[in-house]
Amino acid sequence: MKIVFTPDWFLNSDVLIGVVSFIVLFLFFLFAIKSYNLNKKKSILYLGIGFLLIALGELSAVLTKLVLYYNTEITQEIGRAIINSQIINSVDIFYYVGFFFNRFLTLLGLYLIYMIPSSKKKSIDFFFKAYLIFIVALLSNSLYYFYNLTALILLILIINNYYCVYKKEKIANTKILIVAFSLLAISHAIFLLSKLNYIYVTAQSIQLVSYIILFVLIIRILKNGKKTKQDGYNARHVKNHHGKGWKN
Amino acid sequence: MHDMLKITMGKGGKIKKTHLMYKANLSHKQMTLYLNELIKNKLLEDELSENKHLICITKKGRDFSIKYAQVKEFEKTFGL
Repeated sequence: MKIVFTPDWFLNSDVLIGVVSFIVLFLFFLFAIKSYNLNKKKSILYLGIGFLLIALGELSAVLTKLVLYYNTEITQEIGRAIINSQIINSVDIFYYVGFFFNRFLTLLGLYLIYMIPSSKKKSIDFFFKAYLIFIVALLSNSLYYFYNLTALILLILIINNYYCVYKKEKIANTKILIVAFSLLAISHAIFLLSKLNYIYVTAQSIQLVSYIILFVLIIRILKNGKKTKQDGYNARHVKNHHGKGWKN
Repeated sequence: MHDMLKITMGKGGKIKKTHLMYKANLSHKQMTLYLNELIKNKLLEDELSENKHLICITKKGRDFSIKYAQVKEFEKTFGL
């Protein structure tokens, strides 16, 4: 059975996209932890953990692909093991475990991000759903589309949450966040058909664009934070300082 | 308190106490309370210049204000 659908000419780019995704997600985690240290808001901590889990999922995929695609010592060892003892099944397990962690951690991270705005957070409920995610990740080893379908559903729910935030606050950054998550959702929808090489490449490219947008978002947040300091007017009370309106 | 830092920065890092009080829309009692806290944490300092008391922002205060604004921006983006 085929484990990955990457065409040979796309191997390097495939790994590179994984590395870029990991870096961007890890930056979000670092930023969330920095924010948590300042205001001790649990929701920010959960958001950070969510991004960390997805980042670790990406890292797991990158490491597995490195072993799978390139002629590393581990690959050679595995090759020798196949020739010497015909233990192909146990070699398969190595790859399956790597991709299992990728799927499990990604889905768990997405679920955590989706759960943040919910007021009723019961730990028992969370563990039950984490178990369901575990089952989905496990099943995805033989039925790969289970993972993409579950990720797609979670992403649609996350987009809906952020759309509600955008409708209420009309913040440009939230709009960018929605665009990035929408592209990620589209990439998972395309991955459902990834048995075709070029479709896999398209989905990965869209995923790359979504992570680049998330990276731009981090830069915007940092820049806007710096910009705010120039404004000497009281943000709590002044709508704009050209005398148009006052806000409580 | 962040507003007080922001207002001081907006005025080039130095501001008169009364101006700060009006711009931050605080009562004298509130302002004294917050100001003492900010001075205690070395985010602002009281400076005597030409017989006038001026409130100045420290480097620590500037850094904190930028960091705080970034965190607020992050929170707003995610609706937290």
